Amino acid sequence: MFRHNALRCTVLLLLAAAALFQALTAGYFGLEILTEILILAILVLALDIAAGFGGMVSLCHGALMGVGAYAYAILSAKAGLSPPVAMAAALALTGGCAWVIGAICARSHGIYFIMATLAFGQMAYSYVFEAPVFGGDDGLGGIARLDLSLIGVDLNDSRSFALFCLAVLGAVYGASVLILRSGLGRSLAGVMHNEQRMRALGLTVWRVKADVFGLSGMIAGLAGVLAAQHVMYISPGLLSWTVSGEALVVVILGGLGTLVGPLVGAAAFVLLKHELSALTPHWHLVVGVILIAVVMSRANGIFGWIEACWGGRAERRAAKAVRKQKTKEVLSDA
Amino acid sequence: MAHDLGFWTLQALNALQLSMLLFLLSIGLTVIFGLMHFVNLAHGSLYALGAYFAASLAAIGGYWMGFFLAPVAVAGVGILLYSGLIRRMRKSGPMAQVLVTFGLIFVMLDLTRIFWGDLALAIDVPTLFAGRVELLGIEYPAYRLFIIGLGLAIFAALAFVLGRTQIGAMIRAGVDNDAMASCLGINVERLFFIVFCVGCALAGLAGVVAAPLLSVTPDMGLQILIPTLIVIVIGGLGSLKGAIAGSLIYGFVQTFGAVLAPQLASVLIYALLAAVLVIKPVGLFPAKG
Repeated sequence: MFRHNALRCTVLLLLAAAALFQALTAGYFGLEILTEILILAILVLALDIAAGFGGMVSLCHGALMGVGAYAYAILSAKAGLSPPVAMAAALALTGGCAWVIGAICARSHGIYFIMATLAFGQMAYSYVFEAPVFGGDDGLGGIARLDLSLIGVDLNDSRSFALFCLAVLGAVYGASVLILRSGLGRSLAGVMHNEQRMRALGLTVWRVKADVFGLSGMIAGLAGVLAAQHVMYISPGLLSWTVSGEALVVVILGGLGTLVGPLVGAAAFVLLKHELSALTPHWHLVVGVILIAVVMSRANGIFGWIEACWGGRAERRAAKAVRKQKTKEVLSDA
Repeated sequence: MAHDLGFWTLQALNALQLSMLLFLLSIGLTVIFGLMHFVNLAHGSLYALGAYFAASLAAIGGYWMGFFLAPVAVAGVGILLYSGLIRRMRKSGPMAQVLVTFGLIFVMLDLTRIFWGDLALAIDVPTLFAGRVELLGIEYPAYRLFIIGLGLAIFAALAFVLGRTQIGAMIRAGVDNDAMASCLGINVERLFFIVFCVGCALAGLAGVVAAPLLSVTPDMGLQILIPTLIVIVIGGLGSLKGAIAGSLIYGFVQTFGAVLAPQLASVLIYALLAAVLVIKPVGLFPAKG
């Protein structure tokens, strides 16, 4: 089960303070990057719940995010629903899709689970790409942002939008912790550690997996809705499997199954991408080498490494044992 | 149009040609997975590398020089990868392997960009197979027939080696139970190495034969990766029968889907994959029962 220790709280506070400071002081470009980080952070939180705490390594979270974005765009721009209603409907739709995918894939394990989720993601990608209503390769434009003028906030201003995304991320983080601490989250931990034992205890394993996958997909859909509102334009590229792959990379770089780690990873990834692409067109090369190095080092990402180095000797030993076991289980079960 | 026999023959040949190309790629990937339990997402990058080597070699010594030397060069790259990365990743779980090879895709993509640039390269069809051939009442490009023939020849050769020779028996034993096979005195580690090299060479060969048909671009490896993965998952990991069955299913569904139901074509194959995974979660012909 997920617990907050002093290190996690500290890092969380530092991250929140840095994001808040950036949101209040940065110029236009800084705000755009901050918003990009915040949206990616929501997506990787969703993936960490499924992969890090449930062992469900998904290659369709990018597609789920795209489903959320397209659902919001179609419902608000074409069907004429008001943004809040369209947003709620888009979340419900994405959650439903994810629940069905989770239910179907619940029987598969390891590489087959990865492949099955990949298949569903690609299915969504090619459907969106081909169907004329989604605008095909050209994408869709003219997507409205949420109207919060009732409480005196104009979201078309990038500073307000960044702050809004930060607030959403905070809420999503809180919700994730609640999910992981609930009965469902505890059952999920049991399923990840020993599926057979949980089944013997009378748990309907596929329901637990599907429920968690549905919730995780809903959060990914929320990231998609925000991404659509942020850029005000969406293209099928959002659903491509490489987006899911990158999200997985961010989770691993940050630290699988730590919730805080993926947030660190999201910030590191976006900043690295922008810094490197300013220096060289071949930033993928550097990211690839870093990824290989991190996975080969067998540390649980940046945050996992910090967590392992931190604390007294006894704590270190305990944390290491837990981390080792967790990483080993995830890596061998995944 | 739809009732014309020639039209159907043409489509069937197209489907067969696509299947054979995918077979060359998927057989290496599936046997590597079956034997080593290693998920190599960078297999598509090796295919792209084969195409690039072929383009460069063809510029020096013509198509056939590329045809024979490029697979060897790709196998050389495979040896480097094996000794540098893959040997160390053998004991890790599938997720670590997926991630390392995903990183490798990034690296190889940018390396090909650095060496060969972003522009698409083209190779001419060899003069031996330049024309068209009269076949079953239709005219069909000879080069595509050559690909079909090559695929079938490789399939026959692999079926013979895997089914009838001693090394084939050793490989099958290794796929079935590697610990037991090494107890019986088989050097499984060396077997892995050989299979990995042959798999890489076949991926390179697929790149070489695909190069004159498609343009050679840095992302061709990414484009072929998903179809290859679909083939091996539908077919079942680790088996020759699975690879050929999966390739044929993919080739025919894709080609005839595009003809009969253009709107559904791209969704169809993924729906099929999902259906196979639901009904038989380990694929149609897995190596291990």
